[in-house]
Amino acid sequence: MHIAAEFCVVCVKVLWSFAAAAARWLVKPREKRVQGRVCVITGAGSGLGRLFALHFARRGATLALWDINRTANEETAELVREIYRQNTTDTSSTCAGSEDSGEKSAVFQPRVYTYVCDVSQRESVYATAQQVRREVGDVTFLVNNAGVVSGRHLLECPDELIERTMMVNCHAHFWTTKAFLPKMLELNEGHIVTVASSLGLFTTAGVEDYCASKFGAIGFHESLSHELKAADKDGIKMTLVCPFLVDTGMFKGCQIRKEMAPFFPPLNPEHCVEKAMRAILTDQPMVCTPRAMYAVSFMKTILPFDAIVCMYRFLGADKCMFSFLAHRKESTNNNESKISM
Amino acid sequence: MPQKRKDLGVDVVLITGGGRGIGRHLAKEFAKQGAKKIILWGRTEKCLRETCEEISMTGTECHYFVCDVGNREEVYEQAKVVREKVGDVTILVNNAAVVHGKSLMNSDDDALLKTQHINTLGQFWTTKAFLPRMLELRHGHVVCINSILSLSSIPGAIDYCTSKASAYAFMESLTLGLLDCPGVDCTTILPFHTDTEMFQGMRVRFPQLFPPLNPEMVAHRTVDAVRTNTAFVVLPWTMHVLVILKSLLPQGALEEIHKFAGSYTCMNTFKGRT
Repeated sequence: MHIAAEFCVVCVKVLWSFAAAAARWLVKPREKRVQGRVCVITGAGSGLGRLFALHFARRGATLALWDINRTANEETAELVREIYRQNTTDTSSTCAGSEDSGEKSAVFQPRVYTYVCDVSQRESVYATAQQVRREVGDVTFLVNNAGVVSGRHLLECPDELIERTMMVNCHAHFWTTKAFLPKMLELNEGHIVTVASSLGLFTTAGVEDYCASKFGAIGFHESLSHELKAADKDGIKMTLVCPFLVDTGMFKGCQIRKEMAPFFPPLNPEHCVEKAMRAILTDQPMVCTPRAMYAVSFMKTILPFDAIVCMYRFLGADKCMFSFLAHRKESTNNNESKISM
Repeated sequence: MPQKRKDLGVDVVLITGGGRGIGRHLAKEFAKQGAKKIILWGRTEKCLRETCEEISMTGTECHYFVCDVGNREEVYEQAKVVREKVGDVTILVNNAAVVHGKSLMNSDDDALLKTQHINTLGQFWTTKAFLPRMLELRHGHVVCINSILSLSSIPGAIDYCTSKASAYAFMESLTLGLLDCPGVDCTTILPFHTDTEMFQGMRVRFPQLFPPLNPEMVAHRTVDAVRTNTAFVVLPWTMHVLVILKSLLPQGALEEIHKFAGSYTCMNTFKGRT
């Protein structure tokens, strides 16, 4: 008999979570404070990683920036320091008059640390994480953002590049999370952010390795969030970020059908990160930009595969990466871009 | 309406992980439905030999080769051996998989990687080895035995969920890419918990509602899907509901349902293959 009672409780809880979701939509929840918290961002040297760093810096977080490219990472750090300086002058100018304002800002001064790390290498991740713990302190925010794309057709792609894509976009999440999760579990406090892609919710032809790595990252994220829930670790939050094609140059040349292109413009990276930050700071479990992507991923679950294929063909989305692959090939031949190994 | 079914009479079928579990039943089923030759790949020679003898007795030509699909060099090497000794493979069944079955913090790093290499990257290598020839012949089929866990994760099998989600994306992308290649098709099977030694000890909360699948049934449905050119098959069909709910419900509601259905505790009793 008690199973029926339990079932009723579950139904009520399900309805309640709908109500809670609706309430979130009507009354915007407050953003949590990140001031003084330590935030690790992988792949901070460019693209979304850099923007995440700037946003966290504006809110006064202490940053540990990871990237494989030292120069690019230092550039980000320089921008972050610039923001810190602005923050300090802002607070001291607004509090001008009160005497202890100068002291207060002197008590806490966020800092930025840079680390060169190849996240695909397990030992490198563990060593760098050790260094972060020693030099910066306990990590509250972990943003798994580093990503690469091989940009070749499956049958033409060197095996090492396929492995590299999987290692950076997917396997790296194992190592970074394993490095920082124990402390989070101990304190029951933390936030893990997975920056995936719309291509982690649905796929397109020609980029098998990239889709596989992003689906894997999402599978990892979901399994881990259920794991934390099952272990009753409510203090550790997780946010999945799924942006549509972002205008960072990673997929330069990608094109859907000309007539439909205006409806799905590439995302402005700034806008995408703003949305993601809002979701992270309000503990939202998942954020897709633009919102239409929720509808697309829902459609994908209810429609039979043949119908999905028709939809893809109509949008020109099944072959949208072919122009990117062609572009990539051309620029490699002209030595414009090197595919880093 | 009865669908038209392909004849398998000219097909050479290669099954990875063909020594036991679903792979073994698949081999028997392909032989029963008239495949010309069966090739088994696997890591344990003993199981391969037994399965091979069993199939040879029924009159279908069967060969086996020891090959670990997680090892790229070995895959390419054995693929060459297969081409020379048996001929061109026209149906590739990516079935080999392992599961570590622990939570992230309890997982061993090497075991995590091994699962990724066998369950996901292995499919890249086998496909790269055999697909070019299928495209040349304009005749072929790539089959993947995946899992419903690729679309709906559970805790306690983080290595498996990650690798299967990757493998799903690989197949979906490949299926879309091969739409314009006449004669070469793809099939992905997403079964629920199947009664093999792989997930031994896993216990669902409502076994009357969701009984473990019979591997023979999974094999039968797989071969049928190949013959009818079906791209994706979810077994049992009730799992569609789970997938739809997942894309619709808020995270909190989903967690409550998972908890109620026992997905949070089902891996606690997991023993796996010893």
